[in-house]
Amino acid sequence: MSSAGDGVSSASDGVSSASDGVSSAGHLLEVKTLGAGYGIVEVLFGVDLVVDPGEVVVVLGANGAGKTTTLRAISGMIAATGQVTFLGESVLGRRPDQLVKRGMAHVPQGRGTVTALTVEENLRIGAYVRSDDQVDSDIQQWFEAFPRLGERKDQLAGSMSGGEQQMLAIARALMSRPKLLLLDEPSLGLAPLVTHEVFERLREISVSTGTAVLLVEQNANLALEFAARAYVLEAGRIVLSGNSADLQGDAAIQKAYLGV
Amino acid sequence: MSATVTTGASSRRSPSDWALKVAPWVLLFVILAIVPFQFPSFRVEQICFWMTLAIAACGLNLLTGYNGQISVGHGALFGIGAYTTGILITEFGVPLFGATVASAVVCFAAGILIGLPALRIKGLYLALVTLAVATLFPLFLEQFSAITGGSGGLQITSPQLYRGEMRERPIRLESPVAGLENDQWKYFVFLGITVVIFILSRNLIKSRVGRSLVAVRDNEVAAESSGIPVSQVKIVTFGLSAAIAGIGGSLFALDQGQLYPSSFTIVLSIYILVAVVVGGAASIIGPAIGAVFYGLFSDVIVQQMPDRIQPARAVILGVLLILLMLLAPGGIVGGFRTLQAKWSARRSSAHNSGPSVTGPSATGPEATA
Amino acid sequence: MRDFLQILLVGIGDGAVYAMLGLGLVVIYRSTGLLNFAQGEMAMFSTFIVWTMWSLGLPMWLAVLGGMAGGFCVGALVHQVAVRPVGDPHEKPLAVVIVTIGLFLGLNGAAQLIWGTLDRSMPPLFGRGQVTVFGVAVAWQKIGAVIVLGVMVLLFYLLFQHTKLGLAMRAVASNSESASLVGIPVPRLLMLGWGLAAAVGTVAGVFIAPNLGLGTNLMQLTLIFGFAAITLGGFDSLVGAVVGGFVVGALSSVMPRYITIFEKMPLAPAFILILAVLLFRPEGLFGKKQVTRV
Repeated sequence: MSSAGDGVSSASDGVSSASDGVSSAGHLLEVKTLGAGYGIVEVLFGVDLVVDPGEVVVVLGANGAGKTTTLRAISGMIAATGQVTFLGESVLGRRPDQLVKRGMAHVPQGRGTVTALTVEENLRIGAYVRSDDQVDSDIQQWFEAFPRLGERKDQLAGSMSGGEQQMLAIARALMSRPKLLLLDEPSLGLAPLVTHEVFERLREISVSTGTAVLLVEQNANLALEFAARAYVLEAGRIVLSGNSADLQGDAAIQKAYLGV
Repeated sequence: MSATVTTGASSRRSPSDWALKVAPWVLLFVILAIVPFQFPSFRVEQICFWMTLAIAACGLNLLTGYNGQISVGHGALFGIGAYTTGILITEFGVPLFGATVASAVVCFAAGILIGLPALRIKGLYLALVTLAVATLFPLFLEQFSAITGGSGGLQITSPQLYRGEMRERPIRLESPVAGLENDQWKYFVFLGITVVIFILSRNLIKSRVGRSLVAVRDNEVAAESSGIPVSQVKIVTFGLSAAIAGIGGSLFALDQGQLYPSSFTIVLSIYILVAVVVGGAASIIGPAIGAVFYGLFSDVIVQQMPDRIQPARAVILGVLLILLMLLAPGGIVGGFRTLQAKWSARRSSAHNSGPSVTGPSATGPEATA
Repeated sequence: MRDFLQILLVGIGDGAVYAMLGLGLVVIYRSTGLLNFAQGEMAMFSTFIVWTMWSLGLPMWLAVLGGMAGGFCVGALVHQVAVRPVGDPHEKPLAVVIVTIGLFLGLNGAAQLIWGTLDRSMPPLFGRGQVTVFGVAVAWQKIGAVIVLGVMVLLFYLLFQHTKLGLAMRAVASNSESASLVGIPVPRLLMLGWGLAAAVGTVAGVFIAPNLGLGTNLMQLTLIFGFAAITLGGFDSLVGAVVGGFVVGALSSVMPRYITIFEKMPLAPAFILILAVLLFRPEGLFGKKQVTRV
């Protein structure tokens, strides 16, 4: 598995699985002039961003800036214009289920737990696109990593707490062994302590599996501790980007964009 | 600003604009007046039947188009009106059009009765209940055959002078006017009633009451909080809608002179709904257009086809309905309005000489047409 | 007493058929959220396919399988072409009702075009013999219906609880957006659901046709019984469809016999049931309580 978990921004360090078909610049995901909206209301006006194999990138912004729309446009949940290149292939216009096959998994806002299925069944459908025989052992591994999920494995998923559902949603998305995880506001509706734990787990997972993460968040501080690079989205446009360390350090930027 | 230019252009009522608006109605009036003299009597009889359907569709439109309550059971209400008229005339000697009034009252009550549970049952589920009512209705007629004549049918008779004596004879609408044949007379009477009903429903829809119907359809909660008595509106609309359908049924009875349960199956309810939707739900003249369209389609066009492929009409109708919902959910009237809007947009942009009001810098959603 | 038992057993046999229709209706309701008023016509159409195969010389059981396959195709096609483009039934109920009515008319007309308007006769799958149970004569055909229903329920159970495909279908029915996000091709599975519902309806038609004669109005009354079954059982419950089917069958057989006012209206108890359930307990016996969106 990859070792590029320490947030080095654009090193395409030749991880074998990720470099198959990677674009000439070596990015895992490359988004250019992304535009999207709902009906007649345009929300995104030309978003550019990149994610490299194994790295964690966060898109910050206030409510209504277009963060969720960005993820939905990338994963194909809504129609969009512009360019989205994943593993060297243009994927704009594809349905979300087609992207899962290609290695991109999206955890939507609000978790998207399938409430009528049990915890274990939720994990199992996460592996829908896989046809290997390691699905069961993967599920066991998740139960070991998250004992609370294991305890409730035969319970209906909708009966769990918010934090537990968030863990489940992330685990479910990772069951397909994606190269890129899109994660929409994991902190939403969670108590600070729980959010902390979720991020901790997420960091561990990202390091150990080498999965790249594109995260959108309102909670800037927490996200910047976790991500290597950040973009700031305002009114549908990227207004700032850079290393997390730099952004965290700059007080003026903090005040202007990150509401500190 | 260029906005003033546009407003100015459209507020000027040129004589040609006025003529354009009135002309179609004048033409329609003329056509309707000469129809019974241009066609053979069986055709005129058919058109009379179409009119009864148009009336029923007008009633259904009030309920489903303007008030949002889906009914697939108006054929049953039509049937209640028909049988009420038939029974009153035959068993109780009620005068012909007096029975029509009575039918309206009975159906109003029936509509209120159905409207009560409809308060709690909505959308697809209301469609299900009304579907069940419509399917049950012919069986109901057969069950109470002592009153309805069952599957043998009900002959509508009244005491008439025949060869010097009063006898029970099948009713006929006889023309009292020298120059008019019976069917032509019937045509004008039915036309008059149809026009009156359509005008009354138009007045209702344009009134404050009519607006409350639409408000309830669009958002019950908002309507309730703005002071509209939602339950009352829904129940009364059901009653009115049923009464109108009942009038259509009554005229059908007077037209046919005999009634059979097989005329009032679920298929009738479907055809009334089809007339509403094809014509254009939530438009005033839509039901009439839909009924005429349906009539032309099934009585004129289809008859030209060889016998073997007559059932194709149901297939064509079915395909048409599906295409309609996908491409033109507003029916014929809706399609016409869209064309009209496009045409007048093109006209006003031709008038506009200044810079356009809506440019790339415009932010936010424009008002939707 | 023996009379009553006889009537009751006939009702239970009928109820098995209503349950079959109900299973199809529930599959469609759970996956696409709508009440399929064309379910009866889909079943009638594929029953005609069964008849065609049988009259060409195939043994009855093979013709049934063939008809089910044909019905499956019809159902899948219908979903792709008519249902999918229309949109969310909760947002546009009138459009959905019109589309299903369009399907109703279209399938009915198509059947008339292809097979004409004369009734055909079709032999009962289990023959015309009888057996005596508890001193009462029961037709093998009725027993057969219950057995076939049992097999169907077992197959459904295995499909939904023990296969990947069934799990995916349950996911789609519960949360189609999330299902898409884990890689499930939602449109394809919805199509599958409709095909399955049509195939199941075929079997119902095969059991009804021998009694009523195979005509294009075969299912017009039976459909209402099917809806009564799922209304009572809960629109989204497969178990409810089975229980509801038997209850509706029993009531519809017993009540017209003992309550004279229902004599010519076997549909009346079903109708009253639909009305009562929707008014007082809309989620039925086994359904989930719907939260009304404000």
